[in-house]
Amino acid sequence: MSAKIEIKHLNQYYGQKCALKDVNLTIHKGMFGLLGRNGAGKTTLMKVLATLLPKTEGSVSVCGIPLEDAARVRRITGYLPQEFSMYPNMTVYEAMDYLGVLSGLGSRERKELIPKLLSQVNLLEDKKKKVKALSGGMKRRLGIAQAILHNPQVLIVDEPTAGLDPEERVRFRNLLSEIAQERIVILSTHIVGDIEATCEQIAVLNEGEILYHGTVSNLIEMADGRVYTAQISKSELPRLKERYVVTSMLTLGNNVMVRFIAENKPFEGAQCCEAGVEDAYMYLMHGERGDR
Amino acid sequence: MFLNLLAKECRQIAKSMIYWLIVGILVIFYFSQLGGMSIAEKPEPGQENYGLAYGGDEKDVMDSTLGYLVSEYMNGKYATYPIGFYKAVTPSEADEKRIGEIIEQTTGLSGGENIADAIEEAQGGAQIVYGSSPVQVKEDLDYEEFKKLMQEVDDMLGGGSNYAADSLESNVSSPKTYEQALEDYNNLIEKDHLTGGYARLFCDYMGILLGILPVFLAVTRGLRDRRSKMQELIACRKASSVSIIASRYAAMLIMLMVPVLLLSCIPLVQCIQAASGTAIRIDYLAFAKYSLGWLLPTTMTAAAVGLVLTELTDTALGVLVQIVWWFLTVFSSMGSMHGGAYGWSFIPRHNTVYNYMGFHENFWELAANRGLYATLSIVLAVFSIFIYSLKRKGRLDIRGKILGNLKRKHKA
Repeated sequence: MSAKIEIKHLNQYYGQKCALKDVNLTIHKGMFGLLGRNGAGKTTLMKVLATLLPKTEGSVSVCGIPLEDAARVRRITGYLPQEFSMYPNMTVYEAMDYLGVLSGLGSRERKELIPKLLSQVNLLEDKKKKVKALSGGMKRRLGIAQAILHNPQVLIVDEPTAGLDPEERVRFRNLLSEIAQERIVILSTHIVGDIEATCEQIAVLNEGEILYHGTVSNLIEMADGRVYTAQISKSELPRLKERYVVTSMLTLGNNVMVRFIAENKPFEGAQCCEAGVEDAYMYLMHGERGDR
Repeated sequence: MFLNLLAKECRQIAKSMIYWLIVGILVIFYFSQLGGMSIAEKPEPGQENYGLAYGGDEKDVMDSTLGYLVSEYMNGKYATYPIGFYKAVTPSEADEKRIGEIIEQTTGLSGGENIADAIEEAQGGAQIVYGSSPVQVKEDLDYEEFKKLMQEVDDMLGGGSNYAADSLESNVSSPKTYEQALEDYNNLIEKDHLTGGYARLFCDYMGILLGILPVFLAVTRGLRDRRSKMQELIACRKASSVSIIASRYAAMLIMLMVPVLLLSCIPLVQCIQAASGTAIRIDYLAFAKYSLGWLLPTTMTAAAVGLVLTELTDTALGVLVQIVWWFLTVFSSMGSMHGGAYGWSFIPRHNTVYNYMGFHENFWELAANRGLYATLSIVLAVFSIFIYSLKRKGRLDIRGKILGNLKRKHKA
């Protein structure tokens, strides 16, 4: 069984609206980041891969199994939906146990696996806590634990870090990286920092189309030599924003230290600097103020 | 996997508040209706009262029905119970005239335009007492013809009156004689083994609640997934749609029938006590047999209506539908409460420990009735599985479409 996901000419429509346009992707073992604005089509793609939405056109195979064979795909796929929740009155252990049964695990297997997984996501001590009493971060970790309960070859994680505090976010990314050592993990997010910290391979989705597919370093290379910093007065800021894509700002009294994207050195005093993923993403999405 | 899921579902139900509310209602209803029940004793000659006997010969039925019709005609208003609730109907002039003609046809009175005068004359000036007009039925009137004419009156009144052809017999009731009471008692002891009669009475009362309560359990179970945002999490699992839905449905039925079977132990124990030291041979399994054969199809159907409509719409529509059906059934079956006329009623009535003959003679009618509802519920459950499997693959989203349309209309 080939450990890859192959998506060829995938088109997805909601009535007349095209949510995915001719998407072609090959995803191998490890962490794969899917980046895009809200409404770019990430969740649609995730749902198609999780067999929760029927694809309209194209072919998709998960580890060699065509998506049409939903029952087999479900056996090797774990899914953490964007709006993850569980029956609030169940305890953490009960929720895992219930989903374990739905995943076809036997009683002995569940007894062995669940404590191990809860320990991996640092929830073992909270196993008797009701789901409704968990914090947002704990719920997401429980979400990961339930998604890998049946040891899937593919893990699909949709916007997992939204709403988490910085500490929980870092912990969550590390957890995903650990899990990705043995399987394909697809991480969909609109938070560039999540991708930067965890993924080597990424795809950028915009209005249903793949804008970029490749490594993070290649994406950064695209913006190399086009990222500048400059200290300008506050009054000059609106004009600068009109002409260039500003990726960050830091107020220093009456001045502002800005980081922005420009094809050539824009003015005296602007200094070219090393591009980051966020700069590269903004460059890809907006070009030199040529907003897509 | 199915048995594991079934156990989990039963556990979930046992932890839900709605389930214990249902159990509480069943228990309270049982004790309020049957709690003070005492086991029948052999009637003795010279007793003051032996209860009422319903029905009579054709002549009695016609006399009694005409008694109601004439008094209501003279009053100008007719009592009807179209869905069980009282409604006074004042017919149109044309209908009133036709009813007068029917009275002429059935009584032989001839008054032309003034049948009311002829009635008063026949009364001899006495005040008309509701339901007991002394007007006599025409001697050569055929019973089938009479039934047809009465049905015509019922149709004119919008249904649910005393004149519906299939409930004319309930217009006649008379005090039982000692002999009738003794025959009923002997049937209860010898043919029904005591427990049969009490099991039917138990089913009569419990059937009323089981025709409505299961829908609440089914709807809340179905909606719990959406409320807890668990739909996708469950949908992407390995478990088949058949296992998921069938385990939920079976768990509901098991958890609903357990308290019913436990409650049935109370009258069973009463019967055992009454039979001890006598020659009465009771059937220890009667309550279980009746509960499963009589009450289970009702429970299955009410739960299946909730299941299928919740899966289809992701709303509590099932509750509304079941309430309407329940009202119509319960109140329209009031005329057949003493048993023996089960027809296709969703909730068959037999509100007496007696009338063994009514049960015995119509047993196959009842069996067909129960078979129909059991089959219907299985069909609905299978349909629920089909709907669920479509939803699981994202091929059906009726709720989304309804909400989408509402949003569009709101915007417009």
